[in-house]
Amino acid sequence: MTPPQTERSGSVIEVADLQKTYGETTAVDGVSFEVFEEEIFALVGPNGAGKTTTVEMLECLRTPSGGSAAVLGRDVGTDARAIKADIGVVPQSFHTFERLTVRENVELIGQLYDDSLAVETVLDELDLAEWADRRFETLSGGLQRRTGIAMALVGDPAVLFLDEPTTGLDPDARRATWDRIEALADRGTTVVLTTHYMEEVEQLADRAALLLEGTIEAVDTVSNLIERYGGAIKVVVRADGRRDEPTADDAIGEILAADAIDTYGTDEGDLVGLFEDRERAQETFSRLHREGGDRAIDLVSAGMEDVFLRLAGSTPEPGGDLS
Amino acid sequence: MTRIVALLIALLKDWSRSRETVFFVVLFPIILLVIFSSVFAASTPTFGIAVQNQDLGPDGEPTELSAQFVESIEGVDPLSVTHVNASRNVTDSDDARRVLVIPDGFGEHVRDQAGRARMVIVRDTVTMVQGQLNDSQRQSIQSGLAAAGERTNATNATGVTVQFYAPPDDESAPVVRGILAQVVAEFNQEAIGVEEPPVTMTTGTTGSAGLGAVEYYLPAFIATLVLINGVMTVPSMIAGFTDDGTLKRLVATPLRKRDWILANVIQQSLLALVLTGVMLVVAAVLFGVTVVPGPLSIALLLIGAVGFSALGMALGSLLPDPDAATSLGGIVAFPMMFLSGVFWEMDIMPETLQTIGRLLPLYQFHRGLRRLMIVGTTDGVWPAFLSLGVLAVVFLAVAIRLTRWRDFAE
Repeated sequence: MTPPQTERSGSVIEVADLQKTYGETTAVDGVSFEVFEEEIFALVGPNGAGKTTTVEMLECLRTPSGGSAAVLGRDVGTDARAIKADIGVVPQSFHTFERLTVRENVELIGQLYDDSLAVETVLDELDLAEWADRRFETLSGGLQRRTGIAMALVGDPAVLFLDEPTTGLDPDARRATWDRIEALADRGTTVVLTTHYMEEVEQLADRAALLLEGTIEAVDTVSNLIERYGGAIKVVVRADGRRDEPTADDAIGEILAADAIDTYGTDEGDLVGLFEDRERAQETFSRLHREGGDRAIDLVSAGMEDVFLRLAGSTPEPGGDLS
Repeated sequence: MTRIVALLIALLKDWSRSRETVFFVVLFPIILLVIFSSVFAASTPTFGIAVQNQDLGPDGEPTELSAQFVESIEGVDPLSVTHVNASRNVTDSDDARRVLVIPDGFGEHVRDQAGRARMVIVRDTVTMVQGQLNDSQRQSIQSGLAAAGERTNATNATGVTVQFYAPPDDESAPVVRGILAQVVAEFNQEAIGVEEPPVTMTTGTTGSAGLGAVEYYLPAFIATLVLINGVMTVPSMIAGFTDDGTLKRLVATPLRKRDWILANVIQQSLLALVLTGVMLVVAAVLFGVTVVPGPLSIALLLIGAVGFSALGMALGSLLPDPDAATSLGGIVAFPMMFLSGVFWEMDIMPETLQTIGRLLPLYQFHRGLRRLMIVGTTDGVWPAFLSLGVLAVVFLAVAIRLTRWRDFAE
């Protein structure tokens, strides 16, 4: 299912019916989407959904089996070198010369471009100056990832591809990475990122495409996706917060379903009801407190995780997407 | 060009900062040089041999002639002789690896056969000079010969065979066999009374006169080092860059495939020069051998390094796993090393293998280096430049063709 996309000008990436097969296996099955200038676009999906394969085709690192893709108006199949001159890439399994320092690695990549930014400027922008003379092999995972972003930025790219940029990082490093990505977008860089962190999508992305088993289930602005698929407000009946007397799930389900636009259960056993307006959600919340009495109940706004749950049927698992 | 230089500098820095890599890469040629040179620079080798003398007299002591034969063997410098009891079964024993068995009746057979041989010589001598004899002299000689012939025939003289045994894995057995054959020939001459052989031989050296083992093997070490570095180290390194994602990161930039390959080949060629320098310094310090390579030597060395590194790049592009790439390089390097006559003369190999060996680039590389660096001549070195030049051009093209620049295995 590919819903109509938002009409905007300044498209920098155009993908139409893009396919990638490996023998009998189809990794990407006819995906179509656009990425617009200066936006942060997220490709979201579980492991094996085809996120990395799709992005690598756009980075000219993988050959499409069918369809078409253009980056900055150039075909990924025939204009690879011209595209590479205008993009920056942080691969998912990022690695570089481990015995070179941060500065040397960034310098090297800068020298591979005809026009590049000053190395010190890039290092300062990413707060890497104090680590500049440390060898890559001695850095923490977060600093290595930050070095990777510096290496991607030194060529002054118009489009920056970040494949799972925060996987494996601790919460502080993840938050710091988000801040830097937002700063890049603020200065006008178009960012395409893949992730399975819904919080990351909500925090960073202007638009997102949900990729499942090689096909796009939905693509739109994050707010539209939440509005369309997540429901405006959630009433969540927690499985792990039982009070004195148990109440049957069936009874709770009936109360939730009475006014909700949809209900579903999570992997943790929570029951969730989605409501279009706050008044009805509040009424249901109050009724559950009165009649469903043995459970902890929360009233929360819906988010991308709800979108994902609705469309994919389960929570995305952490880890890399190697397809 | 800027990209190649930038990448070359990065590769050299990354390589030079790996202490383990530098240590072993420098240590390997030193070990090779010291071990081989020490082995081959040793004084005349000694070969052990056991002698079992079964030709004993009634008193249990060796007969006179068999004892003389054993003395002849003991008098040969390269042989270190021990003795085996006559009653032992030497062919079933592991105690003595090489054994010469002198059979019972040795002395008697030698004496009779020597007499017979002397008679033949006398008869032939008489035939040669009979034109100069009168009838009386001729008649008395003929009667004497007839009497002596009857005596000799009565002994029913036949030759005697000594038996040399060696295990199948004894690589020195042919050498020992040759020495013993010489001892037997001289003993036979003495037995029939030849005091001054009509033909004798002395030995000398050709082109490489005066060269010691270190000089002789130095080009072999250098050629081998360049081969191993190019065909085994390069594939592993390239596969490593592919395997850990470093290459993918570079491929995502405007870097061209050919620039990547050239930067690596140039790096390995520079390393080959440096390592050759290390080896020459070690040879000078440890063995007092001073070899200063001239421009042609350096040119051949560089062409060889480019050729073998290009071959390594091509091999490294076939397998993304560093260990497998090293093994693949070994499959190419070791047969080439053994077939090219680098550490031994090709004459010991079958004709077909010699033909194959002479077609291999390492053969030309080694011979060319030896002529240029050690013998000091340019005669016959051009085939080396030609074959290594072809190797370099062909495998640079193959490497550019085979190296993946998209669709890396995950």
